[in-house]
Amino acid sequence: MENLLHDFRYNENLEEAIRRIEGLLKSAYRISKRQIALLLLQGDEQIEQLVDASEPDSLQGIKQVVKETREKFDQPLSYVIALERQELASRIAADVITQKPKKASRVSEVLSRLTIQPLTGIPILLLVLYLGFYKFVGELGAGTVVDFLEGTLFEEYINPWINGLVEAHIPWKPLQELIAMEYGVLTLGLRYAVAIILPIVGFFFLVFSVIEDSGYLPRLALLVDRVFKKIGLSGRAVIPMTLGFGCGTMATMVSRTLETKREKFIATFLLALAIPCSAQLGVIMALLSSHPGAMLIWLLFMVVIFLFIGFLTAKVVPGTPSNFYMEVPPLRMPKLGNVLAKTFSRMQWYFVEILPLFLLGSIIIWLGNLTGVFNMLLSLVEPIVRLMDLPPEAAESFVFGFFRRDYGAAGLYDLSSTGALSPRQLVVAAASLTLFVPCVAQFTMMIKERGLKTAAGMAAIIFPFAFLAGILLNALLKFTGVL
Amino acid sequence: MKNTGTAILRNKKSAADREGAGCHAQVQQSVDHLPKILLVGTPNVGKSVIFNKLTGAYVTVSNYPGTTVEVSKGRGRIGDTVYGIIDTPGMYSMMPITEEERVTRDLLLTEDPDLVIHVTDAKNLERMLPMTLQLCESGLPVILVLNVMDEAESLGLEINVRKLESLLGIPVVPTVAAANKGLDKLKERIREYGKSAA
Repeated sequence: MENLLHDFRYNENLEEAIRRIEGLLKSAYRISKRQIALLLLQGDEQIEQLVDASEPDSLQGIKQVVKETREKFDQPLSYVIALERQELASRIAADVITQKPKKASRVSEVLSRLTIQPLTGIPILLLVLYLGFYKFVGELGAGTVVDFLEGTLFEEYINPWINGLVEAHIPWKPLQELIAMEYGVLTLGLRYAVAIILPIVGFFFLVFSVIEDSGYLPRLALLVDRVFKKIGLSGRAVIPMTLGFGCGTMATMVSRTLETKREKFIATFLLALAIPCSAQLGVIMALLSSHPGAMLIWLLFMVVIFLFIGFLTAKVVPGTPSNFYMEVPPLRMPKLGNVLAKTFSRMQWYFVEILPLFLLGSIIIWLGNLTGVFNMLLSLVEPIVRLMDLPPEAAESFVFGFFRRDYGAAGLYDLSSTGALSPRQLVVAAASLTLFVPCVAQFTMMIKERGLKTAAGMAAIIFPFAFLAGILLNALLKFTGVL
Repeated sequence: MKNTGTAILRNKKSAADREGAGCHAQVQQSVDHLPKILLVGTPNVGKSVIFNKLTGAYVTVSNYPGTTVEVSKGRGRIGDTVYGIIDTPGMYSMMPITEEERVTRDLLLTEDPDLVIHVTDAKNLERMLPMTLQLCESGLPVILVLNVMDEAESLGLEINVRKLESLLGIPVVPTVAAANKGLDKLKERIREYGKSAA
């Protein structure tokens, strides 16, 4: 049988240009001169630089050939080349593929269509959110499991035991407080990490992995494309955005898959401001799960902020919206093995990342307590916290939050479990903490991906905005008497 | 490495800087001085699954395009040879548009792979073949993998693999990587390639 690929030639004008460029290229390249020539003909600037770096003398002649060839065609050369290549591909495909009647069940196709159409898609989205996140992560993970680990295991057994040991064996009070007591490395840092954040995040990662592997996310992208376009993002941006609910750091990195600089900018900003990460989200679910009304208000508020700020940013940042193009993979039944492996690897990554930070956080607070800096910070934040009608103890959560959002959220959870917050206070605290600065890791990633100046500018906007939004929300809720 | 442009070197370096950040598992084993296998293909065709199966490591696998934005490197024994296996972000053609596509092309331009495995979605063979053609045009040693064959079959698509092999003049391996199907065949083909190159 003939080898079609080997015998394949482009049209005579192109082949002549390829021959001439191949003749002009003197250096050796890792890929064939034929491909180098083709890429040069398609106007590939990176390849031009490559040639310029190793044989600058050849470039002039090559550019001349490219120019002459371009004039011979009405269409761009990249188009002509792609077209001829696709013709060959289609010929080969037609030769080897036979279409038999379908064996597939229609169920997944119907389901797929239902998830994309707004009329059915939005209820499905709400159902996924309700069952997956509210029920499973919020009630089971953050409620039952955390209650046991935190409330029973730590508060009733581990912490009293550690406190007792420390009091019996360490005579020096500051050292006692470093290890145990209210802000100790073990009694606060370890407790927050192991008993509050890790189980919540674990449950979240599990649900998220199932959703990821089912192929639901790209369908969600199609569903929200129209809304996203309004705020200058293509539906493609839904992937980094939803990943942001898992981990803002990762999502900021994935914003790289967006095509335009403008989209990347908007996505990075929204991720830093309005998208809570899994740890935050889990704790917030836990905080608000006893007051469904409070949760609804929080959700509405975040959606409004997201759209409003997105819309505003799109107006301010110059550029045109990019076109949406995305592969939509089939809906698949998630494989248990992969879901578990992925959940486990993420929990492991997360734990390794946060544990030292949480412990370090305890140490910094301890130092701050010892030197009085912590109290000074608290007294700085307290007036703002009071403007939001929050108890002064909530200031601690915000100071923690400077350090890491999930740390702050965990502090808030700690506070509310003593019954110190009313539903309105819960919503206000949760909302402004959600908007609050991203964690250190995400901020570092923002600097890496968008540059220091952009990242710092974003942070400078986010800080006051988070407080201001909290104050306004409180005033609004109070004024209308909703909560 | 003499003929690599500065732009490429810069890109490569910044990609290396970002390693290991985020909750997506990545793998960074040293693959220096090993024969190299590069996994390439459009997004969401199963490159990372095959990477995991060949290396025994774990990188994050999901059912949506763009899960892999970083390059993962791992070692895998096939027959008597230990290979350095490189998983790449998806790319649609040899002419990159987005940043992560560029990462993959830079690898093709700089890594000098001993073998390129072009992973494709068998359901969309016609759309995937132009990339195979480009890889072959580039003079790279290519094995074509037709992945998710089960889904193609349930759509009623039958692919004549032997005919495809002879039309293209390269080895073609049908697989269902997630279910471990066809991977032995793939390894066998890699081994044969290693022998014919040696």
